[in-house]
Amino acid sequence: MPDGQTAVARVQEAFPQTVMQVGSMHGVPMLRLHKQDVPAVARYIHTDPQVLGSLSLLWAVDHRPREARYELCYLFTLAERKDWLLLSSDLAGGEREFASITPVVHAAKWYEREIRDLFGLIPVGHPDMRRLVRHEHWPKGSHPLKKDFVWDQVLERVQGEYAYRKMHGDGVFEIPVGPIHAGVIESGHFRLSVAGEPILQLEVRHFWKHRGVEKLFEQQRLTEAVPLAERVSGDTSVGHSVAYCQAVETLLGMTVPPRARYLRSLFLELERLHNHIGDVGAICNDTAYALAHAHCGRLKEQLMQLNDRLTGSRFLRGVNRVGGVVLDLSGPQLSQVDAELHAIEREFVEIETILFANASLTERLENTGVLSEHTAWDHAVMGVVGRASGVDRDLRRDRPFAAYHECQPKVAVYRYGDVRARMRVRLDEVHDSIRLIHTLRRQLPTGPVVALSVDPPTPGQWAISAVEGWRGEILYVVMAGEEGRIHRCKVRDPSFVHWPAIQWAAVGNIVPDFPLINKSFNLSYAGNDL
Amino acid sequence: MFRIIKKSLSTGVVTGHYPAVKSPSEPVSREAIEKAKPFRRSLTIREVDTGSCNACEMEMNALTNSIYDVERFGVHIAASPRHTDALVVTGPVTVNMERALKDVYKQTADPKIVIALGDCAINCGVFKGSYAVTGPVERHIPVDVRIAGCPPRPAEILAVLDMLRGARTEADK
Ligand code: SF4
Repeated sequence: MPDGQTAVARVQEAFPQTVMQVGSMHGVPMLRLHKQDVPAVARYIHTDPQVLGSLSLLWAVDHRPREARYELCYLFTLAERKDWLLLSSDLAGGEREFASITPVVHAAKWYEREIRDLFGLIPVGHPDMRRLVRHEHWPKGSHPLKKDFVWDQVLERVQGEYAYRKMHGDGVFEIPVGPIHAGVIESGHFRLSVAGEPILQLEVRHFWKHRGVEKLFEQQRLTEAVPLAERVSGDTSVGHSVAYCQAVETLLGMTVPPRARYLRSLFLELERLHNHIGDVGAICNDTAYALAHAHCGRLKEQLMQLNDRLTGSRFLRGVNRVGGVVLDLSGPQLSQVDAELHAIEREFVEIETILFANASLTERLENTGVLSEHTAWDHAVMGVVGRASGVDRDLRRDRPFAAYHECQPKVAVYRYGDVRARMRVRLDEVHDSIRLIHTLRRQLPTGPVVALSVDPPTPGQWAISAVEGWRGEILYVVMAGEEGRIHRCKVRDPSFVHWPAIQWAAVGNIVPDFPLINKSFNLSYAGNDL
Repeated sequence: MFRIIKKSLSTGVVTGHYPAVKSPSEPVSREAIEKAKPFRRSLTIREVDTGSCNACEMEMNALTNSIYDVERFGVHIAASPRHTDALVVTGPVTVNMERALKDVYKQTADPKIVIALGDCAINCGVFKGSYAVTGPVERHIPVDVRIAGCPPRPAEILAVLDMLRGARTEADK
């Protein structure tokens, strides 16, 4: 399997006429193409057994006012997962159409619809041209990420109806769920087509919570947008803020001091812990196993109170800043973490034994909500959901950041792709997180926790950053604007990738299992809707 | 079975074991307490998310864990607005959620109380001004109680609910 440079050479060999330019940005190999050549090259990268690139991100940039062009960028992660490969093409002048790659790379589906909504660029040949982010009552021509769209304007409301995919036949019924749900859950809509109990089709319609996060980033300065990043998806405050900070640090050429890198890893693992333990409990709760839920809820609460004592925030907010971390932890605080985690691990082991001794629980989890390895690959699924479906990816190992190259995380991979596998991945990761935190604490270097600031970057420069949050890969692309401002900030929570995939995991299951499947994915609506 | 009982016994009672918090920055108004009287200190709540970052939801959920256990005060979380005394709204109101919020408000039987939970619901927080946000909850439906914080801690939410339920407030003492 090739690394990035070899893959570039292969593409050049296969398409001698089409590659206009080869370059790299902060170490990411980059190929410039004519827009009409993108589908063929994307198909080659995606399917050639020697390359096997999985689409990790697709985003657009409006370069105005500096240059009158839109740029489309396609980021692939190569099968060996060590390297990225970037394709980019321009839409110059008044051009608004580009060739859709969705027919050849399925994972592009939502990205291209998103680009259409936010930039008004049209993916020609896309199989689904319905709106995604802009619900039908948005006026025509309102494309928020175009540079001439005023960020704080008031939108008028027009008439319009979303057309759900219809299923017809004797005894086929639709069950609409949401946007407001029965539990304390975020807002989103699910449309289930059923024949009796079995689900024939699930359609996810989201973006109810679209708050205009990416446009809000563009109103901020590079060094000041951390609080916004923390609020993209509250349960992943650390993951998002680290991802944002890393992108800006690359842009500013900052070297984060070792102690700060260690603390970031430590906070990321604390975040993973409380979320995973909470999720294990929530999965049990959806099988009506209240006892396990109560125990897990208690441990989760214990962890959140620990977070609060350490940082003053139960969600570890306010710990990251561009250049390092705001808070240093003292010796006694670190011993407290150690002691508390030892106690929690001991309890967690007991609870695990109780869980797996319960046949009526495991029976509900097995073979429920299967996401096959093939479907997972087609949707470029990763993170917890991917690892439960045999996708052996973890950025902490594959593209180490923070202090992960110094503490060897173990990657938990299961093949069955059912609810049980997703729970298993979480259980394994809980143990490994605790081990990692102990290791990080033992190896914690001394020294400063913030890098000194350096010169502002040149406008138009950009950087990508990737963080393995507790859900999966969080990607940020940050482009510098004039005077230290943000020109563009693309945010990608793993939920954006996993929502389309859940539609396939639900098919064939019975209606009462849908909440359980949904819980086992536990995706963010806020991080998806932005 | 033996293991389960052993675990429960060794865990003991955890309810109510949480650090004390400062009293709420904005006390519950007399009118709101008056309005809550017909519910006789028991409140049924429906949570509505109009564009939160989801941390506020997580803290609402934490209220039901065995440490805070709101049910012991007669506070229930209902599945439908029709069974509800109080709507708890989180998040700035997004353009896409505005209609749903107004609908839910209409579907909730009178008398009803609206609680704006978190800075976003009160003043849109970091999302203020965005084209996709149509203003704080108050702009769309009348708000009776505000719980500030980003997010407010469960214990802080509990303190406000206590006041609202007519557990004695500072002003009464
Ligand atoms: S108030 Fe804070 S925690 Fe609550 S929804 Fe808003 S940003 Fe999230």
